[in-house]
Amino acid sequence: MGSIDSLYDRVKRYLTSFFAGEGSTDAITGYSSGELQMTVFFMVLAAMFRVFMIPLGIVLLLVATILIAYFAPIIRTVDRENSSDLNRVLFWVIIYFSIILAVTLWGR
Amino acid sequence: MNEPITNLWSVPLLVMIPILTAIVVNLLYNKARAIRVISIGAAIAVLAISVVSPYGFHWFAGHPAVNADGTYTFTASVFSWKLSLEYYYGPLQQILIAVTSLLLLFVVVIATKSLSKNYGPYVAIVFLTYVSAAAVIMTNDFYNLWIAVELGSLLVAGLVASSGTGYAQKAALKYTFFSALAGSGLAISLGLILGITGYANITDAIHFLMTNDLGGMHAVLYVAFAFLALAWVYAGGLIPVHPLKSDVYRSAFPHATVLLQAQSKLMLVAIGIVLLRMFGALPFAREVMLSISVLTMIIGIVMALIQTDFRWTLAYIIVSHSGLVTVGLSLGTYKGIVGGLFQAVNDIIYMSILLLCCEMLLYFGKGTSIKFNGGIAKKSPWLAAFVILGTFAASGIPPFNGFQSELIIIQAALEQSLPEVAAVVLMVSISTFIALFRAVYSIFLKPGEDHPVRQSEAKRFEIPTTVFVFLSVLLAISFVLGVYPQLALGFLTESALKVVFVPWVP
Repeated sequence: MGSIDSLYDRVKRYLTSFFAGEGSTDAITGYSSGELQMTVFFMVLAAMFRVFMIPLGIVLLLVATILIAYFAPIIRTVDRENSSDLNRVLFWVIIYFSIILAVTLWGR
Repeated sequence: MNEPITNLWSVPLLVMIPILTAIVVNLLYNKARAIRVISIGAAIAVLAISVVSPYGFHWFAGHPAVNADGTYTFTASVFSWKLSLEYYYGPLQQILIAVTSLLLLFVVVIATKSLSKNYGPYVAIVFLTYVSAAAVIMTNDFYNLWIAVELGSLLVAGLVASSGTGYAQKAALKYTFFSALAGSGLAISLGLILGITGYANITDAIHFLMTNDLGGMHAVLYVAFAFLALAWVYAGGLIPVHPLKSDVYRSAFPHATVLLQAQSKLMLVAIGIVLLRMFGALPFAREVMLSISVLTMIIGIVMALIQTDFRWTLAYIIVSHSGLVTVGLSLGTYKGIVGGLFQAVNDIIYMSILLLCCEMLLYFGKGTSIKFNGGIAKKSPWLAAFVILGTFAASGIPPFNGFQSELIIIQAALEQSLPEVAAVVLMVSISTFIALFRAVYSIFLKPGEDHPVRQSEAKRFEIPTTVFVFLSVLLAISFVLGVYPQLALGFLTESALKVVFVPWVP
């Protein structure tokens, strides 16, 4: 079993551990695709910092890769944070508003 | 087609006909036949007006009209008494209002057929939701923008709560809580801009900012931008308000969601354009808008991937594709804005196809769960065909309209040296296909639980003729715009040019 195979096995084991019964269901397809989507997105996002400085982009890409590998699967966190619970949404709205304000004021 | 009209006849009619219809049908309450005739007649009237109307301005209390070169049609002496309240009806407004009017007609026909009680208030809310969408896209002043957004958010809650389930009423209540936050945000933004420039009219405010040095007051402008961005996020259902907005989309009747998602797109476009015109030159303003848009796209589509109900999947795809619209706008270039506007038009059309298919699933009494369905294609092959073609359109597969707008957005991102954004748009496009086809396969294509022999003998589900016609019309528009995008682009290019080169002109 090569290294790619074992990484795949690890991800699959993580994901299937959430579900009882069969290893391949409608839900597992969605969660697997979602996990991959988020992984690629964070890497793309990290690489995007090349706009400011290429070495910064490289460092952030490496950091993102390590963090994703460590914290995977991240889809469960995304799922949890996306609840329509008022307190949670309000928390993120306040964070967002602060970021918008801070970034634009910093731009000045 | 630009006429030297200072008070365009069509603008008040586009607003007042739906308001009067709402009052009348509300009074008629449960007189189904009368409500049906009046509401369909009114919907046809606003559709006809939006199509035949010339372009021009409408002022409330005598605001001077703006020429294409930024000068005013009135003499300078008029400046002393203008009240800044102004509507503009141009090519962008025409295409967006015409498409929304067409959907209003479909929604009214379906609503008056499918509801069994409380016709009047429900149809009244439908018409008022249309008014908020039409007003927000036409207005060129912050007062009317604020009113349209406030009115729109309350009506969204009303339309969702009308579906009657406890879950829907909870979703409506949560959304209303936040309307206080976003509405106040827009009001504060309006107050700050009024305080700095002295004008509520967007054209005048931009003129003022371009010709005067704000000095130490510059920071106030950033705060105004942040508050307006908050209202934009709320009205369009962008991240982090998307859980509330997706709740709203999935809790309403699917035919109501057709109008809700159209209203959201118009809000996104209207406020997005105001943000670009007013604050586009601020450092990091477009970057903030772009970040919100990209995050919305990704989080929306990831959440769509993990849903197990077709309605929920559609709700999150609507959220994700709202991000697609705003990515185009946020790029801020001519091509990006054209792509964003075109995506808004296309998105309204293909999501309506999918939502009407969803409505049919409920009509057949089969529910929309991915887990407990199957075999619908055999019972209703036409519905399966519509939903598959709708999926193709939403996933950006040629020859449908979604392909054209996504291609323009990708090209615009690449031209801006942002291949990462182009990659994310592609990822969203592919994941849209996965998310939708997962549901389509489970509900339509997977063999049902019935015995094969019994299944073939089972009664077929017939789509009502009206819905069949609506689906065919929407699919035809989707196909035509996919093959010949210039039909829509002709309406959008002028607005994009104005935003980039003469932002003070509405």
